[in-house]
Amino acid sequence: MNKDIQKKTKQTETPQEENRMRRLVKKVHLETKELVLLQILIGVFLLMSILSPGRFLSVYNLQSMAYQFPEFGIFALAMMVIVVTGGINLSITYSATLSSILGAVVLVSLNNLGVPPLVTIVIGVLVIIIISIACGALNGLIVAYIGITPMLATLGTMTLFEGIALNITKGGAISGFPDMFQWFGNSAILGIPVPLLIFVLVIIATYFILQRSSFGAKVYMIGCNPTATRFSGVNVRKVLFLLYIYSGILTGFAGIIMASRYNSAKESYGYTYLLQSVAAAVLGGTDISGGFGKVFGTVVSVLILQVISSGLNIFGVNRFITDVIMGMILIVVLTINFVNNRMEEKALLSKKVVTA
Amino acid sequence: MNNIFSQIKRSKEMGILAILVVISIIISAFNSSFLTFGNLLDVVKSNIVLGIMSMGMLLVLLTGGIDVSIASVISAVTVIIGRFMVDYSSNIFLIFVVGVVAGSLMGLINGLLIAKLKIPPIVATLGTMSVIFGLVLYLTNGNWITGIPQNFIDFGRVTIGQFPVAGSDQIQGIPIQFLFLLFAIALTWFILKYTMIGRGIYAIGGNRDSAERIGMNSENITLFIYTYEGFLIGLAGVVHTSIMRQVDPNAFIGFEIQVIAAVVLGGASVLGGYGSVSGTIIGVSLFCIINNGLILMHIPTFWQKIVVGIVLITSISFDVIQKRMHDKKNIKVDIDESESSFKRLGVAEKSTSQA
Repeated sequence: MNKDIQKKTKQTETPQEENRMRRLVKKVHLETKELVLLQILIGVFLLMSILSPGRFLSVYNLQSMAYQFPEFGIFALAMMVIVVTGGINLSITYSATLSSILGAVVLVSLNNLGVPPLVTIVIGVLVIIIISIACGALNGLIVAYIGITPMLATLGTMTLFEGIALNITKGGAISGFPDMFQWFGNSAILGIPVPLLIFVLVIIATYFILQRSSFGAKVYMIGCNPTATRFSGVNVRKVLFLLYIYSGILTGFAGIIMASRYNSAKESYGYTYLLQSVAAAVLGGTDISGGFGKVFGTVVSVLILQVISSGLNIFGVNRFITDVIMGMILIVVLTINFVNNRMEEKALLSKKVVTA
Repeated sequence: MNNIFSQIKRSKEMGILAILVVISIIISAFNSSFLTFGNLLDVVKSNIVLGIMSMGMLLVLLTGGIDVSIASVISAVTVIIGRFMVDYSSNIFLIFVVGVVAGSLMGLINGLLIAKLKIPPIVATLGTMSVIFGLVLYLTNGNWITGIPQNFIDFGRVTIGQFPVAGSDQIQGIPIQFLFLLFAIALTWFILKYTMIGRGIYAIGGNRDSAERIGMNSENITLFIYTYEGFLIGLAGVVHTSIMRQVDPNAFIGFEIQVIAAVVLGGASVLGGYGSVSGTIIGVSLFCIINNGLILMHIPTFWQKIVVGIVLITSISFDVIQKRMHDKKNIKVDIDESESSFKRLGVAEKSTSQA
């Protein structure tokens, strides 16, 4: 009789132990994943420096990189916060260009009217941010309140934004901003480029919103299981709506930087960032089906991709081959992930056998 | 009879067909040349490639997958057969074989990545898209391939039957490319309706785990779908080249979005499990007619994207809202039933207490 009870308690205990072990493995796994990413970044950086002595590690190259990757990084974070919920936001680049085009129209017309440049720029930037919030709100409305799958909803809004942008520009670019507007994309404070500063602010904001707030916890919960989240008393629709607005605001920042860097606004600017930002989010450990993903991982993978593309550019590699290599990296990393997961599962299984 | 009528009313396809009819009436009210045989033939001819590729995309969406690499695959196919017929052979049969094999191989690669390595479809196809498009542009340098052999051009000009065009002396026939569209539609319909794989595709899209439990091999089915899609893209590549009579490696940029939009307009769900060949045909037609109608109504091309975006969003919203209302009705019915059963229990209790 006594033995039977003991057996029973043992049986009930083992699944708990298993769970704990699995959680531990997962935790270590995630941490090592980011460590590996950091190692890859350092490795790639050293490789590029050694292979092209004096050219990759030159002040000029590092500086041009520091001006280039912030817009890409902001797009990647705008994508990543949505991917964490199990969705995808295909409208990021057109939301950025649409808001920068409308901002550009305001900037140019106020500039022509002779309004002081500082006032013009403040109003222009405000317009860009407001439009980007509106774009995000439209996405949020369709995804959260109407309930359309994010991929389709943002596919629709992407086409819509592109159409509106094209209608304004008629296919051309809008230019003629006040000279001071270039400050956002082309100048530096204490030697640190302004776009980089904006990017750092965005990183910190996203980190606190996603990983250090109750709002962020809800976001991850939605990514794991929206139904369970709803039944545990979270207003899933509101959280998703606000998150899409946040994603929209980020695209607005990217739009400001791009308009300032190119000193013009056009609907097709930054289009290639769409797929790259999905790649960066996924390489950074974000689960495309939702629930996992960290700001740090995404930022490091943005840096890795930027170092590789800059390095290849220095070697004089054809830019189409760079695309090929980027695609290969995406596939190879995911394959390694798959093999790793398989091996871990096997290790876990064999451990179970030993303990049993 | 009444039952059939309500079934028709409720089916998704009928809703889209109604929209199609309404839009056609609006367009023909603005421009009388819309509903002429010649214009409709033009619409069909310029969208044969879209139609063929939408059949492959339908199968992919049915399983809950997605393929964003299709535009790069068809670019690669057109470049491969372009080079093949310019440099090696102008045998039409061989050109078809090369095109179809090339397309199927690229589809197989997608399938292997998704089925065997378990890479999520959108990420895997993003990767292959980047690789294939990069290679195509690197190897062609973005240059067009011209000088397509005369016999292939002649093949592309073959028409079937002769139909007098109203209002003029011209006689038009149905282009031979139309047959390939019919072939793709018939084959896809047959696979979905009459084969075990077709049943498996719906089953996987509905619920992968239960599909596997009833003995469907989801890995093999996934492999088949992406290879079949590649096969259709190969076919579409040859058809496209026979219509255009030259190869432009950049011709298909952004085409994947159009195909996905057209299939989704036709009622296929990106979550998988729902969608039909007839719905897809209607969706593709709707997509093409909107585009054609905008041109006929002299609306600047800049407006096209706005209209397509709005139509896409509203039609899916309409669908989702309708489904939600339908679900609500179901829940109500359940509550009513349970209430009445409670009442019945209460009556039973009373009767026993009385006894």
